Amino acid sequence: MSALLDLDRVSKSFSRGGLFSTRRVAAVKEVSFALEADKPEIFTVIGESGSGKSTLARMILGIHTPSSGQVRLGGRDVTTYDRRAFMAEVQPIFQNPFEAFNPLKQLDRYLFMTAERFGGASGKTAAEEQADVALRQVGLSLAEIRGRFPHELSGGQLQRVAIARALVAKPRLIIADEPVSMVDASLRMSIVNLFGRLRDELGLSIVYITHDLATAYYISDRLIIMQKGVVVEQGPARAVLSAPTHPYSRQLRDAVLTPDSAGAFRAIHSRQAVATPGVSS
Amino acid sequence: MLAILRDLIRYNLEFRIGLFLVSIVVVMAALSVVSPYPAGDVYVVPPDLPPSTAHWLGTTSRGQDVFWQLTAAIRNTLFFGIMVAALSRVIALVVGLLAGYSGGWIDRVLMSINDTFIIIPLFPILILFYFVLRDSMSTPLLATIMACLGWAYDARLIRSVALSLKTREFTQTSIFSGMKTHEILAREHLPYVLPIVFSTTMNNMNWSIGIEVTLAVLGFTDINTPTIGGMIYWANQHTALVAGIWWWIAFPIGLVVMTFVGLFLLAVSMNEYIDPRSRLARMGGGR
Amino acid sequence: MSGAAEQAPVLQVRDLQAHFRTHYFGVNREVRAVDGVSFDVNRNEIYGLAGESSSGKTTLIKTIAGLLKPPLEMVGGSARFSFLPDWDAVGRAPPEVVRAIRWRHLSYIMQGSMNVLNPLRRIKHSFRDFAWRHLGGSKAEFDLRAAAHLERVKLDPSVLAAYPHELSGGMRQRVTIALATICKPEFIIADEPTTALDVVVQKDVLGMIRTIQQEMGSSVLFITHDMGVHAALTDRLGIMYAGRLVEDGETPEIFARPLHPYTRHLIGSLPRIGDTEQREGLEGTPPNLATPPPGCRFHPRCPLAMSVCTTTVPAMIETLSGHRVACHAVNPGMAA
Repeated sequence: MSALLDLDRVSKSFSRGGLFSTRRVAAVKEVSFALEADKPEIFTVIGESGSGKSTLARMILGIHTPSSGQVRLGGRDVTTYDRRAFMAEVQPIFQNPFEAFNPLKQLDRYLFMTAERFGGASGKTAAEEQADVALRQVGLSLAEIRGRFPHELSGGQLQRVAIARALVAKPRLIIADEPVSMVDASLRMSIVNLFGRLRDELGLSIVYITHDLATAYYISDRLIIMQKGVVVEQGPARAVLSAPTHPYSRQLRDAVLTPDSAGAFRAIHSRQAVATPGVSS
Repeated sequence: MLAILRDLIRYNLEFRIGLFLVSIVVVMAALSVVSPYPAGDVYVVPPDLPPSTAHWLGTTSRGQDVFWQLTAAIRNTLFFGIMVAALSRVIALVVGLLAGYSGGWIDRVLMSINDTFIIIPLFPILILFYFVLRDSMSTPLLATIMACLGWAYDARLIRSVALSLKTREFTQTSIFSGMKTHEILAREHLPYVLPIVFSTTMNNMNWSIGIEVTLAVLGFTDINTPTIGGMIYWANQHTALVAGIWWWIAFPIGLVVMTFVGLFLLAVSMNEYIDPRSRLARMGGGR
Repeated sequence: MSGAAEQAPVLQVRDLQAHFRTHYFGVNREVRAVDGVSFDVNRNEIYGLAGESSSGKTTLIKTIAGLLKPPLEMVGGSARFSFLPDWDAVGRAPPEVVRAIRWRHLSYIMQGSMNVLNPLRRIKHSFRDFAWRHLGGSKAEFDLRAAAHLERVKLDPSVLAAYPHELSGGMRQRVTIALATICKPEFIIADEPTTALDVVVQKDVLGMIRTIQQEMGSSVLFITHDMGVHAALTDRLGIMYAGRLVEDGETPEIFARPLHPYTRHLIGSLPRIGDTEQREGLEGTPPNLATPPPGCRFHPRCPLAMSVCTTTVPAMIETLSGHRVACHAVNPGMAA
């Protein structure tokens, strides 16, 4: 049992303030978890804004260096990796699909570039071949994408292209930072289901960073819940979200608004209760 | 490229006027090749003749034909402006993009050099160079000196755009697609700073031509190479206005003003065209 | 609270059309962002508008609020407010009339609170800028009134002396709610006011909007793409797709009996905690409004699509009591 990704008491603090009043603000405090190499899974990091979840993602991607602790990929400190060798193993997917590609540039060049630099493709035909294979894995094809600009595609399609681009590099690990929060509701589940397929069919491990408890419950195997840089609860996703024990986790779970008629009726009843004099505060 | 030109001519009045004015200037400059008189020679025609059919713009007190003298002068002046603008654009782009994108100590070093150039008083330095170099001060050398002094403001401007581009997600996508720093700068970020480069090119050409004219009028340049400033210098030496030889001064000034206005209009209209937002809107994206 | 005037809708939107018209270097584009929308908002209710990006919901409320800037143009139809009976849309009334009703009768809660609050001015100055001329009184009286109103959104009066950046996102959004409601307007337009907030804060803010709305008896037009928010907050709900309203009715009714296939999908596709059922995304792409599909705009993605859907626009029919839907599969043979 070797670890694919291993975070060992990782912390990150940033200095804030001006010349005279510099203070350190801790964004992430002593976070530890590990993903096994032979057990692909979707590992979810749940947190709200300011929880440090994006800083954590950036440390795993090697964009930020931890202030203390170590992020290890295959047992080796991420900061000691050659960046290119690292990118062949770990690829990111970002939040805003409309910003993930240069609006003035055609989409296919990112796929070809990744194929040539990381996928081992030599020459244009090989790169096109690899791009097409990856696009088919996400339900698209090169014929649909060739020569297209980002604005010609929907958010859902763009996010698929972003995933395909990551797949072209044949990584072992994908870091997805809020990958569906800016994708339309009707297209969101296609992306979430796609992550499940990548895990089950390609054996990819995915770190899924989100504030959405419902999709975390739906797709992930294990999760951690972060509040102000600290992990407050962790464990198997469904067990934790069905019966959260930490007060903050419970608060989060209770704030989820359910889109169903029962939810609607409940909300209306509570509204009438508020409207009744004497009951409202 | 041709389609862009066609669109601009068809839909943009500023571009049409700018193109017209700059075309006149360029045609003037081109005509210098077929000039019947060598530009450096004096007393080749009768002096002090007013504009007539034989000499369209009159002749100078030094016995030069104003029209043909002007063609050589505007050619040299334009070359000078383009040389300064091109050189200083390259410096500004490299410094601005690199400093903004790299950050950290590279940014600090480049920006402290940059700020040094911003606060150096330009005019005394140029005059100093003239007194040190004297006769070896040629037009290309002056252009190089001006380019080295004229990039700093624009580099800061470009850096500020590069700073914001760096934080956009597509920059990270480019990095994780395996692009090298220079590829990201040249292919991903350059289109966003081109509008700045364009409008500053115009500013920079106007600035350098203005300085050149000023230096030449004061006699601090190589006055034997005909330039617009050089013509005004000689006209002043011969007290042309007092002597009533107005055409010796009026036509060079008119032509340089035409250059300024034409370049300005071209820059403004092309800027609108290559601006990323308007480009996106034409492509059908962004609303 | 009775009588015919009280029963009449505060806002009546009829066949509203708004297009983006752009012209760049010979490329003409006309995007029909709102194309024939009709609905009513009654007194003392929260009417929700749901839709995805490019559904035209933001364009719709901009048109209703009269915030029309080129290239957006109101092309046809009407959006009549009961407090502005002489004009068939805010955008068609003269500027001085619009200034007189803004904030006093019609106010807004926007997504980014920083768009409303001037970052360089204390909160109390923002209050004075927006509301003083409508409420009158001395400066001290007005500040007292603002402080009292802030307590309604559970903010300490000391907030008045703060600058926007000193407040958290949730507090800022509460300040904008207080700003929008201090003049007790009849109509409030809320455009994704909680989308940028964390879920815990969002729940508080939604409760606050409901409480204030009920205290003042105002009407709220509430826009969000989040069906969970609609389920919890709104009284009636309209679903937009590609510039058209496809369904509207009482919120519980819509969640219990969604009729339009798009609405059914929106409600059915969302995962719930405690439910492991497989959920599928909708295939296809939202249409490009510059070249929308003919007939029912949903037909390329619709599981129930028939040949009539590709040619004929379905009419919006009251299928059940108070529940309208535009779909050939639900209302056979009803063309618009």
